[in-house]
Amino acid sequence: MPRAFRIAVVLITALLILGPVGLVVYQSFLSGPFFQPNSTLTTQAYEFVLFEEEDFREAFVNSAIIAVGMTAIAVPLGCMMAFLLVRTDLPGKRFIEPLVLVPMFVSSVVLAFGFVVALGPVGLVSLWVKSFTGSIPWYLYSKTSLILIAGLTHVPHVFLYASSALRSLGSDVEEAARSAGAGPLRVAMTVSLPMIMPSILYASVLVFFLGFELFGLPLVLGDPERILVLATYLYKLTNKLGTPSYDLMAVVVVSIIFVTLPLVYTQRKLLAAASRYVAVKGKASAQRPLAIGAWRWPALGLIVAWLGVTVVIPVTALVLRSFLASWGEGVGIWENLTTAHFRELMDYPNLVRGIVNTLLIATVGGALSVGFYALVNLALHRWRSRWTAVLDYLVLVPRAMPGLIAGLAMFWLFLFTPVLQPFRQTLFSLWLAYTLVWLAYGMRLVSASLLQIGPELEEAGRVSGARPAQVSRDITLPLIKAGLIGSWVLIFVTFVREYSTGVYLLSPGTEVIGSLLVSLWGTGAVDLVTALSTVNLALILVGLGLMFALGNKRHA
Amino acid sequence: MNKRLALSLALSILGFVAPAQAQTPVPPGYPAGYAELIEAANKEGALSIYSTADAAEVSELLTQFRALYPKLKVEYADQNSTELYSRYVAEAAAGATADLIWSSAMDLQIKLVNDGYAMTYASPEKSALPEWAKWKDQAYGTTAEPIVFAYNKRLVPEAEVPRSHADFAKLLAAQPDALKGKVTSYDPERSGVGFLYITQDVQISPSTTWDTVKAMGKANAKFYTSTGAMIERVVSGEHTLAYNMIGSYVLQRNRKDPNLSFVLPKDYTQVMSRIAFVSAKAKHPASAKLFLDFILSKAGQVELARHAMTSVRDDLQETHGIRSLPGATEVTLKPIRVGPELLAYLDQITRLRFLKQWQRALAAN
Amino acid sequence: MPKLVIEDLHLRYGSVEVLKGIDARFEEGSVVCLLGRSGSGKTTLLRSIAGLEEPSHGAICIDGRAVFDAGAKVNLPPERRDLGFVFQSYALWPHRTVFENVAYGLRLRGTDKAGIGTKVQAALDGVGLGALGERYPSQLSGGQQQRVAIARALVYEPPVILLDEPLSNLDAKLREEARIWIRALIKRLGITAVFVTHDQSEALAIADQIVLLDGGRLIQSGTPEELYERPATLFASEFMGTNNTLSVAVAERRAGRARVTLGQHSLWGTDRAESGTAKGDAKGVIRIEAVRLVDGAGENRVPVEYETSIYLGNQFEHLFRCGGQSLRVLSHQRVGPGTHWVECPPDKLWVF
Repeated sequence: MPRAFRIAVVLITALLILGPVGLVVYQSFLSGPFFQPNSTLTTQAYEFVLFEEEDFREAFVNSAIIAVGMTAIAVPLGCMMAFLLVRTDLPGKRFIEPLVLVPMFVSSVVLAFGFVVALGPVGLVSLWVKSFTGSIPWYLYSKTSLILIAGLTHVPHVFLYASSALRSLGSDVEEAARSAGAGPLRVAMTVSLPMIMPSILYASVLVFFLGFELFGLPLVLGDPERILVLATYLYKLTNKLGTPSYDLMAVVVVSIIFVTLPLVYTQRKLLAAASRYVAVKGKASAQRPLAIGAWRWPALGLIVAWLGVTVVIPVTALVLRSFLASWGEGVGIWENLTTAHFRELMDYPNLVRGIVNTLLIATVGGALSVGFYALVNLALHRWRSRWTAVLDYLVLVPRAMPGLIAGLAMFWLFLFTPVLQPFRQTLFSLWLAYTLVWLAYGMRLVSASLLQIGPELEEAGRVSGARPAQVSRDITLPLIKAGLIGSWVLIFVTFVREYSTGVYLLSPGTEVIGSLLVSLWGTGAVDLVTALSTVNLALILVGLGLMFALGNKRHA
Repeated sequence: MNKRLALSLALSILGFVAPAQAQTPVPPGYPAGYAELIEAANKEGALSIYSTADAAEVSELLTQFRALYPKLKVEYADQNSTELYSRYVAEAAAGATADLIWSSAMDLQIKLVNDGYAMTYASPEKSALPEWAKWKDQAYGTTAEPIVFAYNKRLVPEAEVPRSHADFAKLLAAQPDALKGKVTSYDPERSGVGFLYITQDVQISPSTTWDTVKAMGKANAKFYTSTGAMIERVVSGEHTLAYNMIGSYVLQRNRKDPNLSFVLPKDYTQVMSRIAFVSAKAKHPASAKLFLDFILSKAGQVELARHAMTSVRDDLQETHGIRSLPGATEVTLKPIRVGPELLAYLDQITRLRFLKQWQRALAAN
Repeated sequence: MPKLVIEDLHLRYGSVEVLKGIDARFEEGSVVCLLGRSGSGKTTLLRSIAGLEEPSHGAICIDGRAVFDAGAKVNLPPERRDLGFVFQSYALWPHRTVFENVAYGLRLRGTDKAGIGTKVQAALDGVGLGALGERYPSQLSGGQQQRVAIARALVYEPPVILLDEPLSNLDAKLREEARIWIRALIKRLGITAVFVTHDQSEALAIADQIVLLDGGRLIQSGTPEELYERPATLFASEFMGTNNTLSVAVAERRAGRARVTLGQHSLWGTDRAESGTAKGDAKGVIRIEAVRLVDGAGENRVPVEYETSIYLGNQFEHLFRCGGQSLRVLSHQRVGPGTHWVECPPDKLWVF
């Protein structure tokens, strides 16, 4: 790929990232909103947040603790489950795999609420346990519970990265280990997982970062005990001083950006060491599932346990709630079942349009985003240059803005940049905002796949007479198909669930399910929220089920 | 004969002319010049509304408005009050924004009006509004909704239901352990409306309010920002008592689930109002004025009251105002004045001072 | 005119110089082997010819045309050099069938469908895999994959074919067979081949010309016989064949010969040292097959103590001790413990 083209792609991407982020950083040095003429340059926002606000320190520490805990839980579990479901002959894996992704389909506020309905102080499961033991052995609103739930609900993220990498491994090394006497667990730990180290590294960094950005879960589960995290602290700042304090919010974002620096640095160092684990070498070998033998039952047990706690319990509670007129202490389930909420939902204006818009952005928009991510990745592929380092640091930065302020930043960008103004009220602005904010996540799925391709495969193309672009088209892209599909699934699911990034870019006609949900939640129509979530979930499960069925057919 | 011919001729001519008039009907009682406003609005052909009222709740209202003025294309964007504020000020700075701003965040609306964002317009309906609900012919309170106590009927025996603010304070002080973790209210730090209502409480009845706050602290009360979450938790029994809830939401839920019951406090019940104003730089000012007049009109107010947004009009109080609600006949109503007093607590220092006081009261044991 | 000319080629990776000035000429139709240890630069040199590495200095010419010239700023990208390359790992594209793998180069050159069909089939037949066109690489054995890789490199009839350790991934038996048929194939097609190996016996078997590299420098270039019989340096002599390297002291040098002492015994050997210091320490190198077991004392003979033997199937390799050093000898006879006599012919004992 010609050097000029590579540099152009890097520059454009950098510009798109630095646009909104730069605006926010600029805002942090102002005394008022940047668009008001009487705002002056000052460091008072920094002084206030860093030195006077105890809440900020508390929120920062909490966020860090949750991020670490979350990563420590999600990464091992996610990797293990990916190995079990992709590399072994675990029974029923074809049905289980779509279910693993379910926590990602549900808006985090709604999912958290599902936990409340199930495991809260008067939750369905809690009351049931209480009827036997007299008390509830857990407290849903503790910090431990929050970390646990955050970790468990982010297993799908790690799973996506690990599984798409594992799909492109040949089985020869695993089988060698197996025949040498290693059990499946040993094979996983010493062979398969080390071979996908780049993917695991990426996933760890990204999940850790999501920990800083966490909003929905702490909002619902952290509120009762006033566990403050950075995103809910931002939420506080929109009201604490009367009118939203953009300058203070910007300082919080800058503090999160500073977290990206050591994070990416560590990732790059670890990645350099792990590059010897290149797996798709020239020597092709068949992919045969590893026989799991006697480990079948413990493995299934692990997966079922995770599914139970993270998926079945909250989702069932949600779905059940959508059929209940009332719930809680003293309320019987059977006598309160109703379909009234669904009937009310059907009358809700713009519901169908919202669903259609959402699916449109998620499928078509998602595919376009993946195309963009692939393009950026290919531009950086096998390019030994300092530009790649620059972009490595930059891609994570848009996600340093929690949804609340990401939405504002995107809005301001479109509002005040003459070139972008005409697009503000269209789906394009929404798409661009989503694509930018999730850049690191979509890109990493593709880059991890790219890393696993042995350079000889592409060199073989070159010496046969193919120009670099032809190599990309004929060799590289087909080989990263698993990564591209994984990326598309991630983006699809994320776009369906997204709300805050586009909230200011939405207008009548471009509403999406996320905005409908939050609208309903805001007016207290929780029953409609659960009904809509149930419908949403059903649609997605059907869609994904179809995708997996088709995908698996082609694999054979 | 000639007279009859002349009459029938006149009538037939009127027959041609009258239908043309029917396309722009001036509402009864409005000044004659109103027809020009309608003409201007029809020429504008569109209307953009930013509001905090849920689209589903106002859909019939909008249908009626569209039927009255079919030439107007109405765009209605509902969002929460903070988003509305952020969006509006940024768009105003950039040039083009919505025409009618209608929000339940009273203090933020007054600030916008005070900062010059509102157009002066004397609505023909303004005489029907009480004095407290209008300011400078710019800000108009469009509803009069009570701030209530909500409680879980299953779990709170009738005898214990607090009927007044004083009752509430006494109840909490008397049973801190029984009510531990069972009481909930808005968090003034994070919820603009929560802050507004509690500061109003302090102005009306300082000692009782601070007693209540201290008692809430002792009883480990939980504070949230989301009305929906709070109502849901009272319904489920996780909490049993809620303080300072927005009445319209509670009412809506009560209609569907009688388990969620409510009390209009006898000693005084705060009344909040959704303030509307026409944007000064509106692209469609005439249409905005039409809409404002409509929601203040009897027809509009009746429609709003059907969705628990009780009427602000003096002549509809008995039938569609707060007085029409169960148990509302003897209460003393204390409306939050639509006026510059609301700006006092938007001052950062004042606000922070109050919040510190709040925190200290909660922690005082 | 030589087919391939390499002039003063230098290549650096960062601060490390990997190729330190290589000059070589390869004739048309010859099979050239780049031989050396790991890190000698042989693979780097091969890849530089292909255009997969960029040297910092020097020139590479094919058919008199420069494909790389640092001074003239010429650097043809790999796809324009029209060479065939067989990778050590074969690098077959796993998502394409064998047929598609081989056909790719022809497709890129715009050959029509019918032409592709014929040529690919011919190439596959040529390597003995005619029936396996529709298989995927993962369904083939290692040896079969290697053949596909070769067919892929040859199908578009490049003037030069480059092979990177083509046999190292095969097991011993296959390797021996492969040596023969690869050379036969290349000779039959009459193309020039350059291949890289670290295995000197492979180089001896397949190559017409061996280029011995070490540390980025060219140590010796010549026919297999020249390298085996007349190694230019100690390194070259030790690299080829299986040797006994003895630490000796030079007693005198005279007319191309040197008398050395091994312990108390005196031996005459061929003087290969470049500088002729009259006396001093030196190394004596003699191939193990050159040492002969004899009955008793005599000229150029030394007594040795028996240590152990290895049975090689067709003969024995005996290990003796002499003057504190080991001496390996091949013989068809069994030998028992005790003192024996071995002879080191002077023209086979090289003194460096």
